[in-house]
Amino acid sequence: MRSFFSYLIPLLFLFSRVFASEYHEQLNLKPLPQSSLLASFDFRSNTSLSQFEAHNFRYFPRSLGQILQHVGTRELHLRFSLGRWDAESWGARPWDGTKEGGTGVELWAWLEADTEEEADHKWLTLTNALSGLFCASLNFIDETRTTRPVMSFRPEGDHGSTLDRLHLLHGVLPHEIVCTENLTPFLKLLPCKGKAGISSLLDGHKLFDASWQSMAIDIRPICPPGEGCVLQIEQTIDMVLDIERSKRPRGNPIPRPPPGHDLKCNASKPYHSGDTCFPSDFAEGEDWSLDRIFGKFLKGTCPLTDSDVPPVCIHAPERRDIFATAGAIELKNPDGLSRCYQVPSEGDFSMILPHMSREGENAKTIADETVQPETPLLYAERSFTGHGQERGGVQSILRNPSPDTAVEFVYMESLPWFMRIYLHTLQARVEGRSGAKDDIIEEIYYRPALDRERGTQLELRMRIPPASTVFLTYDFEKSILRYTEYPPDANRGFDVAASIITILPSTSPDAPAALRKMSNLRTTSLLLSLPTPDFSMPYNVIIFTSTAIALAFGGLYNILVRRFVGADEGPEASGLKGKIALLATKLKAMFKGAKGKVD
Amino acid sequence: MSDGKMGFQDTAGLYGAAAVLRLALFTFFPALPDLLTSRVEVSTPVTSFKRLQEGLFLYNHNVSPYDGGVYHQAPLLLPLFSLLPDPSTYPFFTYLLYILVDIASAEALYRIAESGEAAASKLFTSARKERKWGGYVVAAIFLFNPFTITTCLGRPTNVFTTCAILHAVAKAIAGNPLTSMLALSFAAYLSMYPILLLPPLVLLAYDRQHPSKKNPSLIQFACTTVLAVVVSLSALFIISYLLTESWEFLPSTYGIQLTLTDLTPNVGLWWYFFIEMFDSFRSFFLGVFWLHLSSYVGGLSIRIRSQPLAVITILLGIFSIFKPYPSIADISLSLAVVPLFRHVFPLMRYTFFAASTILYSAFLGPAFYYLWIYAGSGNANFFYAITLVWSLGQSLLVSDLAFAILRDEWEVERPEMVGKDIRQI
Repeated sequence: MRSFFSYLIPLLFLFSRVFASEYHEQLNLKPLPQSSLLASFDFRSNTSLSQFEAHNFRYFPRSLGQILQHVGTRELHLRFSLGRWDAESWGARPWDGTKEGGTGVELWAWLEADTEEEADHKWLTLTNALSGLFCASLNFIDETRTTRPVMSFRPEGDHGSTLDRLHLLHGVLPHEIVCTENLTPFLKLLPCKGKAGISSLLDGHKLFDASWQSMAIDIRPICPPGEGCVLQIEQTIDMVLDIERSKRPRGNPIPRPPPGHDLKCNASKPYHSGDTCFPSDFAEGEDWSLDRIFGKFLKGTCPLTDSDVPPVCIHAPERRDIFATAGAIELKNPDGLSRCYQVPSEGDFSMILPHMSREGENAKTIADETVQPETPLLYAERSFTGHGQERGGVQSILRNPSPDTAVEFVYMESLPWFMRIYLHTLQARVEGRSGAKDDIIEEIYYRPALDRERGTQLELRMRIPPASTVFLTYDFEKSILRYTEYPPDANRGFDVAASIITILPSTSPDAPAALRKMSNLRTTSLLLSLPTPDFSMPYNVIIFTSTAIALAFGGLYNILVRRFVGADEGPEASGLKGKIALLATKLKAMFKGAKGKVD
Repeated sequence: MSDGKMGFQDTAGLYGAAAVLRLALFTFFPALPDLLTSRVEVSTPVTSFKRLQEGLFLYNHNVSPYDGGVYHQAPLLLPLFSLLPDPSTYPFFTYLLYILVDIASAEALYRIAESGEAAASKLFTSARKERKWGGYVVAAIFLFNPFTITTCLGRPTNVFTTCAILHAVAKAIAGNPLTSMLALSFAAYLSMYPILLLPPLVLLAYDRQHPSKKNPSLIQFACTTVLAVVVSLSALFIISYLLTESWEFLPSTYGIQLTLTDLTPNVGLWWYFFIEMFDSFRSFFLGVFWLHLSSYVGGLSIRIRSQPLAVITILLGIFSIFKPYPSIADISLSLAVVPLFRHVFPLMRYTFFAASTILYSAFLGPAFYYLWIYAGSGNANFFYAITLVWSLGQSLLVSDLAFAILRDEWEVERPEMVGKDIRQI
């Protein structure tokens, strides 16, 4: 029975992926090296486009659907991300990076509009509406943070002939801190609203405690051949949990140094003894269970979900011992690297992965515990160079680890206007295999920033030869702003959005499978410190400058309008004596006048 | 023209020495030009050489340099510099261009000094006119002024404005009003503010017409010259329009000087004032500042009507203090014309104080800027305070010069008062 299922499941999965069901959800767990666990939640529901247009939303969240209809949004992608994906140890990104955003909030959408102005107007309405819906400051995506990517993004849905009228707008808020108030509205969009099914595992305390997390909403129309079009909403949450940190009991959440007997020491060190300890690396297998990691049990299945799709899957080698709650059906994948569980529709579900001894009779190695992560197509990191608050440089290091395939991609930066970049200093230096030529930039799209109106948009199409590293550098100048334009924590600096790398699908027939589809990659965001004025003294500055100007103006006009006379000529009004005499006569005259009135 | 050739033979050695000094600095300190280019005292957003390179790069790659916030310089500079080889690979040609511009400025200054206009104009002859420096000395003071040398090394584009202004004055003195107006139009086209020099320059050209010709009335003359400026400026704008294929350059080049959207620090008074300004009063104070800058033109032209060159000298001093984006290139121009008035130097009262204030701030300015931007041990007020002192020192120099010129004028009327104490009523 089990083997029969295991053959059927991939087929079913493939089938359901496209259209069959109206709603399904799945949790994919993937233990990563260094005691980390990647948990990918995927919720997907379809509504036929005709039903949607008739305001019959079914599983499509009504609140979101009405916004989309109001502003003519045909495709929408919203991301809330936090943390950094450690590609060096965790390997390739989940979903090929297509479901992650840069740190903060990222939004891009295809809007139907006749003119650019109309698109801008609709975009403004959209960001304001989403801002209210998701409790995020999306309304701060103004024209200075909005770009119209030219090469980087491609529509995922089927738009047919309407594509010509669609405008792609992209906005990013790198400073936004993603937190619980964004998760609650996210869960409310789900048919089971976090009460049952895999979404019952989600909890703000665990999600935002993760080393890396990304919440994504993708809405796109899909038209399978020969059938009516459907509007698909896919919500995903990917998180990388530190297993050890997540196992910390709830009652004792404050990290304290563990007692000596709990320390994990590397006993192979010669100085290892009762009072000296060299911490062992994570190679020693961790034992964990679903309920300890997430802090709660999985509460049955969502009754609306497609029952053919197993709700929980784990990518672990066959030799890894896994015990599931009684009643769950284990379905092994024939490749021996993953297995799925059909969860009973009622009652709590959990999985236990016991400690696996590295010694003794049934010794296991690390390869028995985790599947080796895939090597990503490209490594990217970006940092600032230089010092001081006047100018600086940006250096991006892009490395192609593949020994035989070149990678072609679009590198996109959208920078704030107060970071004035000098494009003539842009350089791409290739290091690595000999024979690499330096002009690897194939195409540049550059839209310079306008002060207080729009940010810089830079898109570069490049091709990195195999086993080479590219150093992309350019200079910029930090501008000084009006004092009202600084945030309250001005000396913290300004966040610069992540650069977005879109790896273009390879056209050559012998390319590896990973290169045949579009994948994404984002660098971390950067913190740019600008020179600051003194915020405490606008009055003083206005007064001092005005005084300096008045001195110059008064001094010069004094010289221009007055007559010269000899020191001993003219009316006797100079010197202290003269002035006092003048004052005395004036006073006398006034006094007399007053007296006269009294009389 | 023959005068000019004679002058050039006389001064060939001087110009050669100045060129050799600059070339030596360029050659032996190859990092110096880029260091100076990046200094806020030398480069402002509207004159910076680095921004010019960026504009040039965009222009050569068919991106409009005016559709961005970096390039704010006149469009005609673009084809001029794209004719030169790339400055990052062959910097020599750029150096040569800037050295030639400096020498051309010095040559104009030489002719202005040799004409003796400063001490003896048509309507006024100073009693001290014998006491003056020749063109050689005045040109040498300009060429070997450290501010001028620094400017030349830093390569801001306002050296072209300096050159155009000096040639406008020299041509006006030589009795060539139309050429003079053309030169002024160039200066105004490059930097906008020189248009304020138009009234005194018209007066100067009017006074220096060839006596042989039938002289028109001042109104008639002024109309002709203003028309000449309007025509040449329009021609320049139309050429620019044809070059860039849009009028975008107008708000980008001149609008920024009017609205001060780029608040990069410089040695002037505007930047910090408008950083700290309350938003609701910003446009009001922009208006006030511009009104203040232009208010001197009328007053000075009327009061010192007999000496238009003195008006121009004082105005250049005022512009180098109060214009929106001043730099040391402006003070090098203002200090270049001051030695023409050597005959009034004995009448100046605060020369030592003004000179030491300027020197004091010239040395402390870079130090305080470093403390604010790099060391982080000072804040913006440090550099702001120094710009205040710098402006006050300069304004003291300018008003002192105005005082000396007026006293000199007064002493012609009352020769018995020479050397006596006076007061103003």
